[in-house]
Amino acid sequence: MINIDRTVEGKVVVTTVKGRLDSSSSHKLDEFLAEVPGDGSVILLDFAELTYISSAGLRVVLKATKLARSSGLTLAVCGLIPQVHEVFDVSGFSTMIPIHQSREAALAALT
Amino acid sequence: MPRDELDIRLKNDLGQLEPLIEEIEAFVERADIPPTPAYRLQLAVDEFFNNAVDYGYPDGRAGEIHVHVRRTADGLELTFSDDGDPFDPFSNAPAPDLTGSLEERRIGGLGVHLVRTLSDHFAYRREHGRNVMALRFALQP
Repeated sequence: MINIDRTVEGKVVVTTVKGRLDSSSSHKLDEFLAEVPGDGSVILLDFAELTYISSAGLRVVLKATKLARSSGLTLAVCGLIPQVHEVFDVSGFSTMIPIHQSREAALAALT
Repeated sequence: MPRDELDIRLKNDLGQLEPLIEEIEAFVERADIPPTPAYRLQLAVDEFFNNAVDYGYPDGRAGEIHVHVRRTADGLELTFSDDGDPFDPFSNAPAPDLTGSLEERRIGGLGVHLVRTLSDHFAYRREHGRNVMALRFALQP
């Protein structure tokens, strides 16, 4: 119920997640994000087709954010549906992670 | 199955999560629940189910989890119960500290914080050897 792929747009490494991030699928994103891109890169998580995230999914995003920071990289997310955005707001993630409206807006801001 | 009601009993086994979520999705569709309360309901059931299975039965005994949802005129009423060890998630889970390490985080802290914040009413009781969580979500948040 989850589909993850990666594309590179200049210095931005875009990871697109489609489907549901819950306790049964979040380990797949965790494994995917364990590999940190090279210096000067920006990590963008495109969640436009993410229909659901639970605390298990948020933990993976938080872990990736901390890993990126410890490597001197920026991590941002984009394309949150209103219900996922609400979960980011309530969990406090919105104050820790830059959120962009769309991939286009994110790429414009990050490059 | 009544259109405005859902009643499921499951084993305390993580493999039951997917069929449970499918039942919830079918319910919110047939009961015509708007996306935001539908999401909040699904999140509550998901978080409580995971917490109960992961921490409620440390001796590995078989247990039973009961999920009951009813649509009223203006809200959703969820009653989630399990026969795991006594645990009041609402009194034992302060707002999580996101700056701390993930390992320092209290069990289920983030999930319960989300559920508590996104519900309009929540209550816990221990009744007949079961943890009973009663929640309400407004249909027009």
